[in-house]
Amino acid sequence: MNELLRITGLSKSFGRRSVFRDLNLAMNAGRVYGFLGKNGEGKTTLVRILMGIIPADSGEIHYKEAPVSFRSAGYKEEFGYIPEDPFFFGGMKVGEFLDFNAAFYRRWDGGRVDELLGRFSLDKKARIRTLSRGMKLKLEMATALAANPSVLILDDPTSGLDVPTRHDFLQGIVRELADSGTMILFATHLVHELERIVDHLFILEGGRIILDEEYEAVKNSTRRVRLDLEDQLPEGFGIDGILTESREGRRVEMVIYPWSEDKKQKIESLAPRNLEIEPLSLEDIFRSFVAR
Amino acid sequence: MITIETTSFIPIYEQIKNGIKGKISLGVLKANEPLPSIRDLAAELVVNPNTVARAYRDLESEGFITTRKGKASFVTENSSSLIKQERQRFIDEVFERAISEARKFGLGEEEIRDIVEARLKARGKSGRGEGR
Repeated sequence: MNELLRITGLSKSFGRRSVFRDLNLAMNAGRVYGFLGKNGEGKTTLVRILMGIIPADSGEIHYKEAPVSFRSAGYKEEFGYIPEDPFFFGGMKVGEFLDFNAAFYRRWDGGRVDELLGRFSLDKKARIRTLSRGMKLKLEMATALAANPSVLILDDPTSGLDVPTRHDFLQGIVRELADSGTMILFATHLVHELERIVDHLFILEGGRIILDEEYEAVKNSTRRVRLDLEDQLPEGFGIDGILTESREGRRVEMVIYPWSEDKKQKIESLAPRNLEIEPLSLEDIFRSFVAR
Repeated sequence: MITIETTSFIPIYEQIKNGIKGKISLGVLKANEPLPSIRDLAAELVVNPNTVARAYRDLESEGFITTRKGKASFVTENSSSLIKQERQRFIDEVFERAISEARKFGLGEEEIRDIVEARLKARGKSGRGEGR
């Protein structure tokens, strides 16, 4: 495999509060990784460690199979990073901001800047402080992409933006993937927009990775089951992997992972009066996993 | 335009394949005409280019499209007859299933034929569309 990024045994605490411990993740080139977790679970902390903004307490990060430390700078030139609340010098013009950034990146592609400005309808002469939030995000995106990153790290970039802006943003990501095969780590709690582009899912919950799996496999083996029974459902009737369960009289609703033909037969053997089995959206899958 | 339904049982690459086959069978995409590039279709549908690439790979190995080295993908000469065959197989399977269910209830050949006749007649009367 074309491994780009590997995280081994990574732990981080703030004072006595442990954010996560012993995280292990591996990521390959050309793929989109959805990094999901509720607010406050430590997504941003991991992203900041990856970007060398804060150090980890223990553990290792390898980029292209070479270890990188909090103090190494070189690898970051190949990382594009879009934080949730980007910092701008508001008095700068769009063009000035791009020139300013160009100085930091060896792989900066000046020839791409104009194409990117056009793609995102950005005006070089506009003052940054006059731009809407959506336009600022597009400027961040143009800046990150002009540096020709091998890895693009997005930290909840679209929260609070309107639907058309989010659409344009995702389209930009799709084009980048097609053109450059950039690896993308997309941290978010707004999972709806990941659904169409994600290859692989990580879910961070309670300081641990509770899911590390291809999205297609997760989707194929998560099911919502609704059944109406004549009698009460026997307690613990022998199905494991029930992520959520709710009962209302004789109606039982469950989300089950991993789903299997065997479990289906077990449920059918209860002879329910009514049985519905359906796939879930990514949003519902995520909610079910973190509801445990 | 191909529509993508993310809450479907059908995976996205499968939906893209079906969408393209549908366009071929409707004549919107004709033999030897180019398909949109992976990049363009991915951007239009806002889906992962890897997913579009997978759909194109499948369509190619099934003979519906052909990709010229480093160039675009094109609809093959015999794609529409392949689609017709595929549909025929599907319809045959549906009938096959219905017939074996009827057999399980002990119905004979004549009775099954009567049911099909009656269904066709009922559809005709209620004026429902012929479907596809």
